[in-house]
Amino acid sequence: MELVGEEKKIQALFSELRLADEQAAPSFAGVWNRAQLRPRTRVSPLNVSFAAAAFAVFVAVVALALWSSGSRPQTGPTNHTVAVTPATPSVTPPTTGGPTPKGRSVVEQRQAARNLRAARFAARQKAELLAARRAEIRDATAISSWQSPTATLLSSQNDALLNSLPQLNESVKELKSFLPNK
Amino acid sequence: MDIAELKAELEQHHAACFGWALSCCARDRGEAEEVLQTVYLKILEGKARFRGEASLKTWLFAVIRKTAATEYRRNLLRKLRSAVSSEQVSKREPAGGEVDAAFDRSEEQVRFRLALQHLPARQREALHLVFYEDLSLREAAEVMGVSIGSTRQHYDRGKKRLREVLERTEVDYGISWRGKENPGAV
Repeated sequence: MELVGEEKKIQALFSELRLADEQAAPSFAGVWNRAQLRPRTRVSPLNVSFAAAAFAVFVAVVALALWSSGSRPQTGPTNHTVAVTPATPSVTPPTTGGPTPKGRSVVEQRQAARNLRAARFAARQKAELLAARRAEIRDATAISSWQSPTATLLSSQNDALLNSLPQLNESVKELKSFLPNK
Repeated sequence: MDIAELKAELEQHHAACFGWALSCCARDRGEAEEVLQTVYLKILEGKARFRGEASLKTWLFAVIRKTAATEYRRNLLRKLRSAVSSEQVSKREPAGGEVDAAFDRSEEQVRFRLALQHLPARQREALHLVFYEDLSLREAAEVMGVSIGSTRQHYDRGKKRLREVLERTEVDYGISWRGKENPGAV
């Protein structure tokens, strides 16, 4: 590239800069050896954060799946024919009160605590389910006995006549009541 | 190309590579060395592979540029994490002590270096590749990963901007530049 005017000046300044840099440059062998000594596989922070985010999403999805499967009502078509029974949970949690028996290992204690938690959870779930069913039945009963507040306005003395039809073999005298008055 | 052959080639370009790394790292010597080490490591591991699509020097410079950008982002993240003030993070000015400590530089040279730091990165890169590394505009475009037209624009604007900055900092040769622009004015 042919340089003119100010380009020559810039070139001179860059040449001076290059000269200074070359004097200050580290030796190739030094940099090369240090590069060889560096650990080969370096996990970038981006990868780590990506992995952490992926793991968090996975955990959230698993937790959601477990929660949704646990909270789904397990009754089938007999949902509306449930008898109202007192909501006493039938699951009796294992008793852990009192002193722990001698010789009982820590693992066993942990297992017992885990069982207790599971039993409490199951009992709570069952109680909630029963309460929901009772509420459903109460609502259904209330709906079936509901009456409109304006229903009385629609009733009259001739309701029986209006709501009935003439029958076969009915007497003429009674049929007259259907005819207009002359 | 086997590793011994590549090593010999790299050694030939080492000084130029260091100069380019310095430019990419805002004249930070430590960072430039770190970048160069990373580049050599990439080559050793085969993460950066020369396929002969461009000249070795051009390819090497492109790798250095990319690595420097990655290192810069990484350092920025590190600094952000350690809650360094944003002013310190965003400014990549060379340390004052570094400017005048290493060499016996003339005042003009110091002003020139500071003026370079005031240029946008692309313009600085274009000027550096053409004037410092003696690359053609086409080769500079390959290194920068942009079109030759774009490189030419960065180059022209860079020259103009450099002149303006140098004139603003009252460098002695401001008169000669003005003289070149308007020869009949003097």
